[in-house]
Amino acid sequence: MTDTVAPGPHGAHEHDGESRRDFLTLAATAVTAVGAACAVWPLVTSMEPSEDVLAAGAPIDVDISKLEPGQQMIVLWRSRPVFIAHRTADELKTLQDPKETADLRDPDSNVMQQPDYAKNWHRSVKPEYLVVVGICTHLGCIPEFQPQPGSEGADWRGGYFCPCHGSRYDLAARVFQGVPAPYNLPVPPHHFVSDTMIRVGENPPNSTFDLNDVEQI
Amino acid sequence: MAEAKAQNKLVAWIDHRLPVFAYMKHELYEYPTPRNLSYWWNFGSLAGITLVIMILTGIILAMQYTPNTAMAFDSVERIMRDVRWGWLIRYIHMNGASFFFIVTYIHVFRGLYFGSYKYPRELLWMLGVVILLLMMATAFMGYVLPWGQMSFWGATVITNLFGAIPGIGNTIVTWLWGGFAVGNPTLNRFFSLHYLLPFIIVGVVMLHLLALHQHGSNNPLGIDRKGPQDSIPFHPYYTIKDTFGLSVYLLIFAAIVFYWPNLLGDPQNYIPANPLQTPPEIVPEWYLLPFYAILRSIPSKLIGVCAMFGSILTLFLLPWLDTSPVRSSFFRPVYKWVFWLLVIDVVLLGYVGAHRPEGFYIVLGRVCTLYYFVHFYVLFPLIGKFERPLPLPTSIAASVLAREGGGHAPQPAGVAERH
Amino acid sequence: MKIAAAFAVMLALALPAVAQEEAMPPLPHPGWSFDGVFGTYDRAALQRGFQIYSEVCSACHSMNLLHYGDLAALGYTDDEIKAIAAQKQVNDLDDQGNVVQRPARPADAFVAPYPNDKAARAAHNGALPPDLSLITKAREGGPDYVYGILTGFESAPANFKMQDGMSYNMHFPGHQIAMPQPLADNSVTFADGTQATLPQEAHDVVTFLQWAAEPKMEERKTTGAKVMLFLLVMTGLLYGAKRKIWADLHQHA
Repeated sequence: MTDTVAPGPHGAHEHDGESRRDFLTLAATAVTAVGAACAVWPLVTSMEPSEDVLAAGAPIDVDISKLEPGQQMIVLWRSRPVFIAHRTADELKTLQDPKETADLRDPDSNVMQQPDYAKNWHRSVKPEYLVVVGICTHLGCIPEFQPQPGSEGADWRGGYFCPCHGSRYDLAARVFQGVPAPYNLPVPPHHFVSDTMIRVGENPPNSTFDLNDVEQI
Repeated sequence: MAEAKAQNKLVAWIDHRLPVFAYMKHELYEYPTPRNLSYWWNFGSLAGITLVIMILTGIILAMQYTPNTAMAFDSVERIMRDVRWGWLIRYIHMNGASFFFIVTYIHVFRGLYFGSYKYPRELLWMLGVVILLLMMATAFMGYVLPWGQMSFWGATVITNLFGAIPGIGNTIVTWLWGGFAVGNPTLNRFFSLHYLLPFIIVGVVMLHLLALHQHGSNNPLGIDRKGPQDSIPFHPYYTIKDTFGLSVYLLIFAAIVFYWPNLLGDPQNYIPANPLQTPPEIVPEWYLLPFYAILRSIPSKLIGVCAMFGSILTLFLLPWLDTSPVRSSFFRPVYKWVFWLLVIDVVLLGYVGAHRPEGFYIVLGRVCTLYYFVHFYVLFPLIGKFERPLPLPTSIAASVLAREGGGHAPQPAGVAERH
Repeated sequence: MKIAAAFAVMLALALPAVAQEEAMPPLPHPGWSFDGVFGTYDRAALQRGFQIYSEVCSACHSMNLLHYGDLAALGYTDDEIKAIAAQKQVNDLDDQGNVVQRPARPADAFVAPYPNDKAARAAHNGALPPDLSLITKAREGGPDYVYGILTGFESAPANFKMQDGMSYNMHFPGHQIAMPQPLADNSVTFADGTQATLPQEAHDVVTFLQWAAEPKMEERKTTGAKVMLFLLVMTGLLYGAKRKIWADLHQHA
């Protein structure tokens, strides 16, 4: 159609009307877009761990009275395996041997894989008991406990061996050089409520360490 | 500016291979729409958006729901109590079903009043009836999922209907149940189908829109567009009007979801299903009540079932039952009042469906069921034949002019260039 | 106008029908802290109500959907909750795989009085005391109904035939309820010193039961206020934009 646009009475004020309309339309569009984003947000956030899942992740008390030196027990905390190993005096001596630490990637635990109270030569609260999350920092398999020297080859001084891709850790769960795993096994929050009871999942007083802050679980 | 050019280049690259942008521009932007659509024309887009809301909330709920009779009820309560924002997503989904039917029923009655089912939109109308049937099936199965008392007993009553089919009825019912009664196999398959059907609805909606765009929307005057002066581009006029309508709709929806979330529901469904205890009243959700009433008003099980399905299948025949030469009830002096009789009839049927079939309710139910079929099979054809329609306006633009007091029918800027 | 009327009727009919064959006395409406669009839960009433549930109702009625940790919403501290939970025993396995009992933890669900429905029925002449987790949402009349039941026990009228073991209740459908009157004046001694009259006890325990049925109610209403406000603003803006955009199609006189 070739009819012309009617010259409305608002012709003289058209510029005003247009800029007012533009602002109004812009405001309306912006508010609607914000509304749509806010509406989608609960849908996305509902996929986060729910309250019952979080409640099930409460700390657990582990009785270590029957754990003999040279033995390890495994408990589940937050659906992850946690190794509690009772180290012998000989094993502790090996850990302090400078020859031992020469082959390790991170002998001084400089990378944040443990709380401050486990940043020591035994990577734990008490030297006799190692508490680590038993998930290989390579791709997530569960490493085997091989404390016997020589059980994984002539040079083996005892430690953890991951069967999936051959990563090796010492008896303080520190990773060796030349293996695929990049980091030491992480140490979860834990402390001794008594000499025979370890509470896994709770820090000793005055520590606010959160396992989610480590480099790699 | 450089970004705009790159944007256009990317768009052009895609469009050359798969013309989505050109298609969207034509169907949603330039698309000529009658200039005189009233707010009764908002309800189609409201239904479409409600469908999207139902699918989004439904997918999220399905991540947390367990379709096993031992765990279903508790999994829904876990969503309400422990899942972040779970209570909101569940209440939106639950009330969204009711609102989906509210807007769809209004959309259907709009079609009845303005003759939107008549030539050339017969197929558009029939696709709509298919969508309605799919909605009813989806809603019915969805209501079973929380596994409350009404879920279980509603499922029992409705699946038992198929036993009315002579000969093979009982075999079909056993096959539907997957057992000797409604139970875990039934719940599992209803969950699977409840997840599937909405996507079938999406497909049929696309066909519905395809059919719509073939000839464009009807309008309150019921007369065809005669030229470009009768149309305006869909964007920005109807995009803003639909968005405004959506905002008003969301206000009402939000009021129900946040303040009266259980108003449209039945307290009995907060009791876990008990196969050994029938509730005092077995009542489907409100949007199925009129059909429930038709079912119960006929003393024979088989004929009752036929009447219930027949009442919906009748809708398919409307384009041929109606003999009126004129679409819109604005120009139909007799039918415009008879239309309201149908509305009252359907509301009364719903009222009957909510009560036990005793005494007064039986009589009312039968009268209303009879009227329903008389309305479509007797009044529709007869009124169309004998009614004298009012004279139609010459064109939509002329009518708009008459309404707004003389002079040119103003054109939006840019219409002059279009043809 | 007709449309509005039709709508009002349809909406009113959405409320499920309750067939009341005989005239029931109207339910009491004592008024609740959680009523209305700005309703909240009275924490003190919740704690008193929880005390009544623990001391009286939990002897027969389970509360399977609540966990002890949920009581944090009532204002109890972590240590108080641990102590409350530890008063109950739950089943666990020892190292030999035998079933042993251990104190409940905050993550555990409320311990039920009976191991299953059959045991519950056996202890009550075949009647099953319903789980109370959703009771105020599962009954027509909601909190007012439950309050009416708790305060509605009285002697049967002269010509009313009572079955054995049943009690007469004003508001229970059929007037015969299998539960003997559970609460009376001073059934409990409230920890906060509030006088324990029957209406007070009924009010507090129903407040607690409503919370148990809908712990997220306060969040729902406050979120609702924000959403409604936002939508009002958005609707206003969109209406203005709509008018402006359509303005050039209408000629002003």
